[in-house]
Amino acid sequence: MENMIEVKELRKEFKSHSSRSGLKGAFRDLLTRNYKVVPAVNDISFSVKRGEMVGYIGENGAGKSTSIKMLTGILTPTSGTVRVNGMDPHKEREQFVRSIGVVFGQRSQLWWDIAVQESFRLLKKVYNVPDDVYNVHMNHVIESLDIGPLLDKPVRKLSLGQRMRCELAAALLHNPPLLFLDEPTIGLDVLVKLKIREFLKEMNAKYNTTVLLTTHDLSDIEALCERVVMLDEGKIIYDGQLSSLRSNWGEGKQIEFQFADTAVTKHSLQPLLAELDAAWTPGNRQNVWIANVLNEEHVISEVIGRVVAAHKITDLKVHEISIEDIIRNIYEEGITNG
Amino acid sequence: MKYVQLFFQYAAQYMKTRLTYRTDMVVEIFSDLMSQAVNFVFILLVFGHTTMISGWSREEIIFIYGFFLVPFAIFGAFFNIWDFNDRYIVKGEMDRILTRPIHSLFQIVLERMELESLFGVITGIAVMLYAGSLLDLSMAWYDPFIFVLLVLGGTLVYASIFVLIASISFWSDSPTSIMPMMYNIGNYGRYPVNIYNNVIRFVLTWILPFAFVGVYPAAYFLGREDWYTYAFLTPVVGLVFFTFSIFMWNVGVTKYRGAGN
Repeated sequence: MENMIEVKELRKEFKSHSSRSGLKGAFRDLLTRNYKVVPAVNDISFSVKRGEMVGYIGENGAGKSTSIKMLTGILTPTSGTVRVNGMDPHKEREQFVRSIGVVFGQRSQLWWDIAVQESFRLLKKVYNVPDDVYNVHMNHVIESLDIGPLLDKPVRKLSLGQRMRCELAAALLHNPPLLFLDEPTIGLDVLVKLKIREFLKEMNAKYNTTVLLTTHDLSDIEALCERVVMLDEGKIIYDGQLSSLRSNWGEGKQIEFQFADTAVTKHSLQPLLAELDAAWTPGNRQNVWIANVLNEEHVISEVIGRVVAAHKITDLKVHEISIEDIIRNIYEEGITNG
Repeated sequence: MKYVQLFFQYAAQYMKTRLTYRTDMVVEIFSDLMSQAVNFVFILLVFGHTTMISGWSREEIIFIYGFFLVPFAIFGAFFNIWDFNDRYIVKGEMDRILTRPIHSLFQIVLERMELESLFGVITGIAVMLYAGSLLDLSMAWYDPFIFVLLVLGGTLVYASIFVLIASISFWSDSPTSIMPMMYNIGNYGRYPVNIYNNVIRFVLTWILPFAFVGVYPAAYFLGREDWYTYAFLTPVVGLVFFTFSIFMWNVGVTKYRGAGN
């Protein structure tokens, strides 16, 4: 399969001047400025195949937005190469953007004051979509997203969930082979989220649309993407299957005990786990302790058996480590200790 | 061709939006007409006290002012980019512009048009007709065509200066406080440039060529043959400056840093 996105050694530096402190510093700043060159994206390389849905994750300031903006032709890279859909996004911008759809969750593509269908009509002209193609494709999109009743309302009268669905329809109006979604589900309720995910899956299946998705809501990624690219401080720290992320770093389970006896301490619990490969961490309430154990039958039952025999408990929960925990661990400890 | 079609699409949409707020529109048209009328009376009052300045009669100065209003109105209708820095750079709206397959400046022109400003064209023509009748100016059959050409040249001059200033925003974060100053300097173009000293005259001709919006092209219609060269340079200067400003804009877009989010 051909590559839809190919990024090699991509780098973006921002020059920022650091101001000195105090009034005297301000005067010195007038004459000579201290410039600091900060790499927001630091020589990253990856590729995405046609039809893939890739989750692009990272903390705030990890370089997600900056790299997406380079992929969409908004920003010029400092160095490195980007080929998206066989084009250089920045150099051939006007031609290139015809082949992509973009949804920035915090920014509207639609005109605030006019009815949604009028926005669609203008965008149809902007993208030069022929009538017959538009009718077939958009009727389907409008139906799947269930936005038919919203079409004659001005955008400013829509709720966030309604607006997001219209934004998504607008981004797909010219049926682009590649879709960039930056926080598409931010602030949406569960039902709308589900609808949007359903819709994206459908588009992917029907048109083989490639999707690059950034989000803070990892459940979006779990629902849609098989592959994740994880960024930290401008570098890719993980690029691979979501499932192998779980099997490599999420192998353990957590057993949460709530003890009846208030005198329980880490010290008194320690001997119970003696030769087992496990460790105690304090829970988020009083008298709650969590045993982090390997995901093996005999270890789990052994730990529960020993604890229950030694202490009275009032509650017991067994958790699988969530993707969110895994990712938090990776960010806190780095990929190497994972 | 596609751009012309798009322009009409946007203009139609603009009118439609305006029409949905009917009372607003009526009030606005009324107040626009009123302010144009007040402008007109104001001009007559101000120039009522002058007789001759540096070889220009009162009526000629009124005529120049009237001419100036026409390109200025067209500029005002389509180049509302005085708040470009705040609206598009700081708020990051430029991101959206850059993800669409149309030249970025053209999109901004389309989005920010304010067709009401075109009423100024009517005032301008009225002022010229009034002053022209006092001056007994005669009109040849080709004069309307030359008028259109010179007005377009003047509009391009105005537009290019403001596009250039807006382009600065791509390099500098600091809000462009130059904009209001430029509007003031632009006003100097409404008066005959030979009343200023040579430095200012040079600046208004070749550096910030506002003189090509008012006095130079108007001189043609006033039959001032000693100024004809300048008058006919208007479209040339307009095109040269506008091409340069588009070039700078395009370079600026590659320096766009985006707004963090």
